[in-house]
Amino acid sequence: MKINGVTIDNTFAEAFPMKATRLIITAMTLKWAYRAANSIRGFASSVIACGIEADIERELSPKETPDGRPGISVMMFAMSKKDLDKQVPTRVGQSVMTTATTACYAGIHTGEKISLGKSLRYFGDGYQISKVINDRRYWRIPVMHGEFICEETTGVAPAVGGGNFLVLAKTSRHGLAACEKAVEAIQKVPDVITAFPGGVVGSGSKVGSKYNFINASTNEAYCPTLKGQVKSALGEEVGSVLEIVIDGLSEEAINEAMRVGIQEVCKFGSAKGIYRVSAGNYGGNLGPYHFHLRKLMK
Amino acid sequence: MKGLTFTLAFKPQFGLDLSPLTPDRLQGLNQGQIKRIKLDYGKGKVTVGEAFTLTGFDCENIEIRRSVDKLMRIGHEMSHGTITIKGAVGDYAGQGMKGGSIFINGNVGSWLGCNMRNGHITVKGNVGDYPGGAMPGDIEGMTDGFICIYGDAGNCVGDRMRRGMIIVDGSAGDYCGSRMAAGTIIVLDKAGEHVGFNMKRGTIVLAKKPRHIAATFRSCGNLKMQFLRLLFKQLADMGKQFAVFKRIDPEVHRYAGDLAYKGKGEILILQAIKTGNKAA
Repeated sequence: MKINGVTIDNTFAEAFPMKATRLIITAMTLKWAYRAANSIRGFASSVIACGIEADIERELSPKETPDGRPGISVMMFAMSKKDLDKQVPTRVGQSVMTTATTACYAGIHTGEKISLGKSLRYFGDGYQISKVINDRRYWRIPVMHGEFICEETTGVAPAVGGGNFLVLAKTSRHGLAACEKAVEAIQKVPDVITAFPGGVVGSGSKVGSKYNFINASTNEAYCPTLKGQVKSALGEEVGSVLEIVIDGLSEEAINEAMRVGIQEVCKFGSAKGIYRVSAGNYGGNLGPYHFHLRKLMK
Repeated sequence: MKGLTFTLAFKPQFGLDLSPLTPDRLQGLNQGQIKRIKLDYGKGKVTVGEAFTLTGFDCENIEIRRSVDKLMRIGHEMSHGTITIKGAVGDYAGQGMKGGSIFINGNVGSWLGCNMRNGHITVKGNVGDYPGGAMPGDIEGMTDGFICIYGDAGNCVGDRMRRGMIIVDGSAGDYCGSRMAAGTIIVLDKAGEHVGFNMKRGTIVLAKKPRHIAATFRSCGNLKMQFLRLLFKQLADMGKQFAVFKRIDPEVHRYAGDLAYKGKGEILILQAIKTGNKAA
């Protein structure tokens, strides 16, 4: 299959089940909501070492937020509810509560719950106040800027992590230009995030290593500098490979995100240095979700 | 299915206890069985068939017409369904209510929603003393739920209240929020004396500064309360009837107290409501 001169490999992306939650961060201005959101999603590119994958989902208008202020929706993914429960309150405490004028609310209200204000309230040192509004409990924690309002818990939803595609380009410059456009398009799809910096992975990994003390290492088959040294998956013309990894709340959301992403990449075409689109999989043994590229792009 | 309607067929001289006429207790009964239910009337009894004319079948939607202030304990411990009352209502309406809704188009006696556990009560009229309060001897008043009063309320609004919310669109009498353990009371007109008397925790929001605030409440100054922003937005989103909350600025004068009783409660006096119609 070729689209605009770009070869779509006959392969599939392999994804696996995760657990996710969504937080709504509001602040006096959108700028400060972004400060908090950017802080909470820092060092959250991959569960391999960060414990969590997180990214901004979208901006929220004052009408969409619980307190009528501008806000940001952030989604966080982990391998288990326990991992989320460990990471989310810590990050909210250190990244959101410390940002001036912010408040933090649950963005998912169904399913199992993990704590937010439930554990952060103790920061109030006995002066915290609980309020139930419309069957949802909030904690008012007195802080130096006024009050930090935090919902008691947030819901955990089953999710899918690791949807991906590889962009094989002439150079990094060509690949990055296409990937930036793809990420922009993916960000418009609801219920998905691209957790890596800028949504693009510069160092995609394979499972395992020759060293027994690490569990992921460079994907040498897609490293352009090793083309002559290893059993490479790259042709002579490919000088750079970038990966876009997508986590989402459902298989359908990832399907759509991959489709629009690949579509944007293909718009560049071979004339602008994009030669192939492929995907990372592990022979179907890692996860139950398989996203076949050619099926997606039909 | 047409709602079950009870139209009062006589003028009661004594209190008529309507606690058996709730969606919970009427479930599965036909009209004949309902008419044979005996109600306490003064020192005696009267059957539903003697007291009311019945129409309709759906006991999830009960309507009481030509209601007068002798009808007591309406919606007693109900847990689901809706009761709509056209006319005045006596004491103990919604007592111990666990869920569902009561709409009252008229004035109400005392102890409205006392000891209620959940549910919604809306009153388009005035209310007597102790709405959302605790019965004498009880430690807690309402422990959850929502009471909205579009008229004035009597004394001791939310006495010993533990959780939930009471909104009074008119004025409130003396001892508003007395002995509150927690919860929220909003009064959009004047409140009487001794607001928050002996309150341990909880929030009393007043649109107007009362003439007297006890010495056991300490001023925390004028503040923009982030919590009120959340509360008012949530209330405004509940429907047009709460549109007034869109116009209220969250800037308040905060008093913390009652310092004689833990002192973790607060009286918040609103500084600005933009002009316009009130909640009703």
